[in-house]
Amino acid sequence: MTQRIARRDCLKLALTGVAASWAPSVLANPAAPFPLGKAEHCIFFWLGGGMAQIDTFDPKPLGDAHSKPPQPGSYYRSIDTAVPGVQVTEHLAQTARVMDRVTVVRTVNHRVVDEHAFATNLVHTGRMISGSTIYPSLGSIVAQQRGPLNPDVPAYMLIGIPNVSRGPGFLGARHGFVYLTDTKTGPAGFSRSTDVDTARAASRQSLLEPLQNRFPSESIPADYRAAQTEALRLSGPDFMRHFDLSTEPSTTRQRYGGEFGQRCLLARRLVQAGVRFIEVSHNLGFVNGTGWDTHNGGQLQQHVLIQELDSALSGLIEDLQQHKLLEKTLIVVGTEFGRPAAFDSGGGRGHQGTAFSLVLAGGGLNHRGAYGATDDDCKLPVESPVSIPDFHATIHAALGINPAHELLDGARPVPITDGGTPIARLFA
Amino acid sequence: MTAPRILWCVLILMGSSLVALAQEPLTSEVGSAVRLEICEQGLNDQDAWPEIRPTATESFEIPAFGIDRIPPKYVDDGLRGPRPSPSLVRMTATVALPAGNHRLLIRARSASRLSIDGVRIAETAFAPKNGGDGSQADTERLVPLDLGQGYRFAPRGEYEMIGQYEAPGVPIEVTFELFAGGREGKGARRVEVGESVVAVAKAGSDHWELLTPSTPGIPYTNSRWEEYSLRVETLVNQYSAAQRAALRRQSDNYWTSRREAAAAWLSATPEVPVPLFSDAVRQNPIDQFVEHTFSLVKLQNDRRSPEKVDFFRDVKPLLESRCLDCHRGAKAKGGLRLDSQQAVETGGESGSAIIPGDTSQGELLRRIQSHDAEVVMPPKGARLSETEVALLSRWIEEGAVWPELPLVRDSLADPVDDAGFVRRVMLDTVGVPPTSEEFRAFLSDHSESKRAALIDRLLSDPRWADHWMPFWQDLLAENPNILNPTLNNTGPFRWWLYESLLDDVPLDRMVTQLILQRGGDREGGPAGFGVASQNDVPFATKGAILSSTFLGIDLKCARCHDSPTGSSRQEQLFQLGAMLAKKPLEVPKTSSVDPSRLTAGGRVPLIEVTLLPGSKVEPHWPFLACVSPEVTRQLAQNPDDSRELLAALMTAPHNERFAQVIANRIWQRFMGRGLVEPLDDWEKGTPTHPELLRWLGREFVRGGYRVKSLARLILNSAAYQRSVDQHLKRPDPLYTACEPRRLSAEQVVDGLFVSTGKAFRTEPMCLDLNGRRDTSNSIDLGTPRRAWMLASLSNERDRPSLTLPRLQAVTDVLSAFGWRGARQDPTSSRDVDPNALQPAILANGVMSQWLTRLSDDHPLTELTLSDQPVESLVDELFLRLLSRLPTSEERARYVEWLAEDYAARRVLNPPRVPPPHVAPKLITWTNHLQPESDPAAVARNAAVQQGDPPTPRLDPIWRARCEDVIWALINSPEVLYRP
Repeated sequence: MTQRIARRDCLKLALTGVAASWAPSVLANPAAPFPLGKAEHCIFFWLGGGMAQIDTFDPKPLGDAHSKPPQPGSYYRSIDTAVPGVQVTEHLAQTARVMDRVTVVRTVNHRVVDEHAFATNLVHTGRMISGSTIYPSLGSIVAQQRGPLNPDVPAYMLIGIPNVSRGPGFLGARHGFVYLTDTKTGPAGFSRSTDVDTARAASRQSLLEPLQNRFPSESIPADYRAAQTEALRLSGPDFMRHFDLSTEPSTTRQRYGGEFGQRCLLARRLVQAGVRFIEVSHNLGFVNGTGWDTHNGGQLQQHVLIQELDSALSGLIEDLQQHKLLEKTLIVVGTEFGRPAAFDSGGGRGHQGTAFSLVLAGGGLNHRGAYGATDDDCKLPVESPVSIPDFHATIHAALGINPAHELLDGARPVPITDGGTPIARLFA
Repeated sequence: MTAPRILWCVLILMGSSLVALAQEPLTSEVGSAVRLEICEQGLNDQDAWPEIRPTATESFEIPAFGIDRIPPKYVDDGLRGPRPSPSLVRMTATVALPAGNHRLLIRARSASRLSIDGVRIAETAFAPKNGGDGSQADTERLVPLDLGQGYRFAPRGEYEMIGQYEAPGVPIEVTFELFAGGREGKGARRVEVGESVVAVAKAGSDHWELLTPSTPGIPYTNSRWEEYSLRVETLVNQYSAAQRAALRRQSDNYWTSRREAAAAWLSATPEVPVPLFSDAVRQNPIDQFVEHTFSLVKLQNDRRSPEKVDFFRDVKPLLESRCLDCHRGAKAKGGLRLDSQQAVETGGESGSAIIPGDTSQGELLRRIQSHDAEVVMPPKGARLSETEVALLSRWIEEGAVWPELPLVRDSLADPVDDAGFVRRVMLDTVGVPPTSEEFRAFLSDHSESKRAALIDRLLSDPRWADHWMPFWQDLLAENPNILNPTLNNTGPFRWWLYESLLDDVPLDRMVTQLILQRGGDREGGPAGFGVASQNDVPFATKGAILSSTFLGIDLKCARCHDSPTGSSRQEQLFQLGAMLAKKPLEVPKTSSVDPSRLTAGGRVPLIEVTLLPGSKVEPHWPFLACVSPEVTRQLAQNPDDSRELLAALMTAPHNERFAQVIANRIWQRFMGRGLVEPLDDWEKGTPTHPELLRWLGREFVRGGYRVKSLARLILNSAAYQRSVDQHLKRPDPLYTACEPRRLSAEQVVDGLFVSTGKAFRTEPMCLDLNGRRDTSNSIDLGTPRRAWMLASLSNERDRPSLTLPRLQAVTDVLSAFGWRGARQDPTSSRDVDPNALQPAILANGVMSQWLTRLSDDHPLTELTLSDQPVESLVDELFLRLLSRLPTSEERARYVEWLAEDYAARRVLNPPRVPPPHVAPKLITWTNHLQPESDPAAVARNAAVQQGDPPTPRLDPIWRARCEDVIWALINSPEVLYRP
C-alpha cells in the first residue's frame, strides 16, 4: 500500500461530499441531529474472511490469475443491473435484478488488514480497540437503543459462532446476543435436547417445582425463579416455532438456497417475530475451503460462495418485499476488509482495506445501486469516501438512532459512533 | 497390518538418513523406571541430529517409554520461562523382553529415533515447515495408523513407525530420543512432545503395551493411557514444584530481610486497639469490631420512626443514581459533595446544600426544581420527578436524618447449621461443594473444634489455588488467546498465578514478581502480564490495573485525560507506566482527547486534558500519599531499576494502603461486601469499619502477607458463620446475617461436575494440536480440569474447523453466569443479576445434557444400579447434588416418581457394545482450510450436541425418569446460591 488515506482526511472528505444537502451550521456542530430513517429491523450479513469487492460488487475489467505475471483485475465478467450504469459480477445475476433496492457503498476504507480478528472487531464496533474501553458491537448498540419490537423475543440474535466482536462491550451482558450455529439446532440454551419431548419437559417441570418454592417470594432466589419462568416460555412453542422452517412453503425455501439462504429465511421469520437485530454469518468455508478469505486456491470455487450470497440476498429482498417488510428492514452486508485487484502467487488474493465494498439494501433508504467510486485498481476511493464510523452512522440513522447520541460506560459518555456522519444522499 | 502401513514406513524412511548412533555405555540393571533427560544445548536450528550426544540439563524418572508432557522450564524466582527450541528429550532404560520377534511402535511429534543396544530400530522424520496459513494438507498424518481393535489412535497427528525387533531374551538397553519444538519461520515452535511413545506388540500378539522396565506391563489403550498420563502428570508436577522451590530458595535472604523490615515496622507503629465488647472475651477480634459497630448503629437508628422518610431506603438510592457521579470525591462539581452529612450541610461554592428542617433555603431543593437550564440539577438526563422532589423535601423538613449505616436487622442471625456450613466453607475456599462422604463425615463429627479443623484442612487443600484463580484473572485482566493475539490479549500468566497460589507465595513477593514481569511471556510467566496486543500504550493499561487492584486508585479515566470527578491525573498514570517501561513514556494521540471535541456544541468541557499528545513522562512514583520513595528505597534490591523500586513501593509495610486494599478484597470475597466500596476506587467510598480495616491490614502484614492467614481469621469468625436471611437483597454492611449470594460461574460449573461426578472432559484448549505454528501466534492452554482453565474461544474467523464444541458447551454456561472469556479490562465485580439465559442453559444446554444423561461412564449410573431401597437412592441424590437430605415431602415426591418399575430397572445381560473403533479426523490449524475439514468439524459438533449414549444397563423408561429427577435437582435454584 503506497498511498493511504488518513482517517481524519476521510472524515473531512466525507463531510465535503455531503455538504451540498446540509446547511453549514449542521456541519459545524457534530452533535446536531441527522436525518433519521424509519427502519425497524436490521439483518446484518457477515462474510467472514474479507469479500473481494472486485469479484462481487465493484467489478473492473477482467484480469488473469494464471498468466505470467498474473494480470490484475476481476476474476469474472461484469453484468448490468436494474440501475443504469451500475454493474456487478455475473455471479450476482439475481441481485442485479433488484439493484434498485440496493446500494453498494464502494468506498469504505480502513487501515487494519493484517489480522482478521482486529478488522472484524473494527467493522463490528466501528472503532479501533482502546486501552481503556471495550466498545459494544453494532448489534448490541441497536439492541440497547431500541430493544426488541416484541418484548417476548430477544432484541439481538446471532446465527453464527459467538465471538468477542459481536459482544456487548461496556453495555453489559444483557445487551448481548442469543445465538444459534445452524438452522437445525435452534438457539443455544433454548432448544431442548432431542430426547426431551413436550411430555417429558412437563414432567421435569413438575419435579422441579417443589424445589423452586423453597424461597420467600421477595428474595434474590425468587428473582432467579422468575428468570426460570421466562426461560421456560422461551423454550416452549411460543418462541421456538419461529425456528421451524418446515412450515414455510417449499418454493420459498428453495428460493433462498442452501444453508446460508435458510439462515436468511430464518432471519426474516425473526424479523416477523419482533427481533430487532439479526446477524447472519456466512460461515460455510467448505464450499471453497477458505470461505471469503480467498488466498491461493480459495479463489477457484469463490463463485460458488458468491452464487450462494446472490440467491440468499436477492431472495431475502424479494421475500421481505412480498411481506411488506423491506421498507422496515435494513439489510447490511458486512465483511472485515476487501481484496486487491492483483493476484497472489497461488492465484488468489490478499487483503485490502484502502477501499472495499459494504452493501445496504431495503430499510427505507433512497437506494441508488452504488455509492462512491474507486480507481481502476479498486484500490482507492476517487469520490465520496466512507469511513467505518460513517458507515455505522448510516446504519444507525436508518434505524432512527442518532449516531452522535452518547452512551455511558460507567460515568463516561461515549458517542454511538466515533464522529460518524450518515451518507446523506441515502436519506434524501 | 495392511498396505497403508507399509507405505507409511517407506515414506518416513525415505525422509531420513540412517546414521549409526554411538553407543553409550549403560550400566543399569533392569530397573523399575525410565530415565527422562532434557537436553537444551548442542542442538542447532537446522533440522538435523547433533553429531555429538547432547548433555542433559534436567532429568527425572517416569514409569515407561511414554510421555505427553515435559516439565515447564523454570527461571529466575521459580517462574515459567522459555526453553530453547528445539530441545531434545531422551528416554533410556534397561528392559527385559522375552526372546522372540516383536513389533515396536514409535510415535513422536517430529524427529525421533529408537535404538536398542546401539542399533537403530525405527525413526521418524522432522516435521515439515508448514505452520503457514492453514491450507496445507499434511496428508501423511491426516489419517492415523490403525493397528486393529483397541489400538489407540495418534491423538495429535504424531508421526508413527513400526519396526521389527528380534529380542535375544537378555536385558536390553533402550534409547528413545526425540525433538521437542524447532524453528518455524523467524520464530520457534512450542517445546512440546505431543504423545511420544515406544510400544511393543510381543511375538504372536496384537496387543500393544507401553515399553517399560517394570512389570506388569501397561496396555497402550485409551483408558489405560489416561491413567498412565495422570501418573506422568503427577510426577512432572512434583518435579516442577521442587524446581520452583529450589529457585525460590536463592532469594530467601532478601525475603527474610523483608519479613524483618515488616516486623520492625509493626513494632514501630501503634497497634489498633480491639474494642472489648460485651462479655465475649474469647471472641475472635473480628467479632469484637463488628458487634461494636452494630451496637453503635443500633443506638443511632433507634431515633428513627416508621412514619418518617428512611434515609437508606428512600434518599440514598436517589442521591446515588442522580447526584453522586459528580458530587463526590476530591473534584466534586461546584465544590459540593453529597456523600456525607457534614459535606451536605457545609455545602459548596453556592452555599449550603441542605439546611436540616428548613425547606425554604438550601441549594439542593432550589436546583432540582429550577427551570433554568443553566441552573437545574441534574444537568443531564430527565428531571427529578415530582415524587422525588417531594420525598427530598419531606426528608429535609424532618431534619435530614443521616445515620452512619442502615440498620437492616435488629439482631444477629443464628450461626449457620453444620450442613450449611460445610457447603458454604468449601465453596468459599476450594470452590466446590462437599461430596456426600465429606458431608456425612463432617455431620457425624461431634468434636467442638470441628469447624476450625475443617477450615485448617481446606486452607491446605490444593484446590484452594483453583478457587482463587478467577479472582486474580479478573483483577489482573488475564486475557490469553489461543490463536493470534489481537484484542488486548496478554500472555497466559495464569500458570504463574496458579503456581504462586499452589505454593502459597506471600502476596508481597507475588506482586513483586508481577511488577518485575520476568519469565516467559508466552510460557506462562508474569512477563505475560506486561503484554497488551494492539494496545497503544500497554504499560499505561498495566499501570491502571496495578493501581486499582493493589491501591484502590482508579486511573481508568486518566488514560486520556484527568479524572473529571476524582483526583487522579493523566500524568500519574503515565508516570506509573513509565516506571513499568523503565523509560520515559510518550502520550500518543490515541490516548488523548482532541480539544476541539471537548468544547463541541459550545458546552463547558467536563474534562480537562493537562498532558498534550507527544508529552514524554518520566518514571516517577505518583502516589506520595500512600508512601514516600525515601522510606522504601532501602527495601528494593536494586532501587535504580524503576520496576524494582515500584515493586518495593507497592508492597512495603509502610504503604498501609496496599495491605488494607488486599485485606478489603479478601474480606469482600468472604463477606459479600467490602469494608470500603467500591473495592477499586477508594476515593469514592468511606469505610464502614475503619478500625477493623486498619486492624486487618496489620494482621495481613503480621501474617507474612499470606492471604490464607487473613482467611483463617475471617472464616473462624461468628460474623462469617451467620446463617442466611433469605430476605436480604444485598449484603448487610453490619454483617448481622448473610445474604443469599449467587455463586460465581466457575463455582456453578465446577460444582455441577463435582457433585454429579461426571468427568470434566473437553478438547485441549489449543487450535495447533500438532505444534506446527510459531509460539507467538499459537499457544496450548492444556485440557481443562476446572472452569478457570478455559479462555475465550473467539477467533473472529467464523470457521467451523476452528471451533471447539465441548469447550463451547462449557463456556456457554460460564458466560451466562457472568464469566468473561475475553478479559480486555480488569474487574472487581461481576454481573450476578438473573437473566433468562442462565436457567435456559442449565435446563437445555449441552453441558447439562452430559450431566443429566445416565451414560456408562456416569458415576450416577453406578449409583442407580447399586442395590438399595429407592428411598436411599433419593437421599443420596439429594446429598450429592444439594448437600442436604430431602424434606419428607420431597422424599415422598421423588420416591413415588422413581418407585415405579424400580425393581425392574436393571437390564439383565445388556448388549455389549464395543466402543467404536474409528480414527478421529484430526482438525488443526495446518489443515483447517482443507475442504474436508469444515464438514468434518460440523459432524463432530453435531456428535457433541448428541451427547454420550445412554447406558444399556438401565431400562430406558426408568432411566429417563431418573434423569428427570437429576435434571430437577441440578436446576434447583439452591444449586446457585451459597447456603
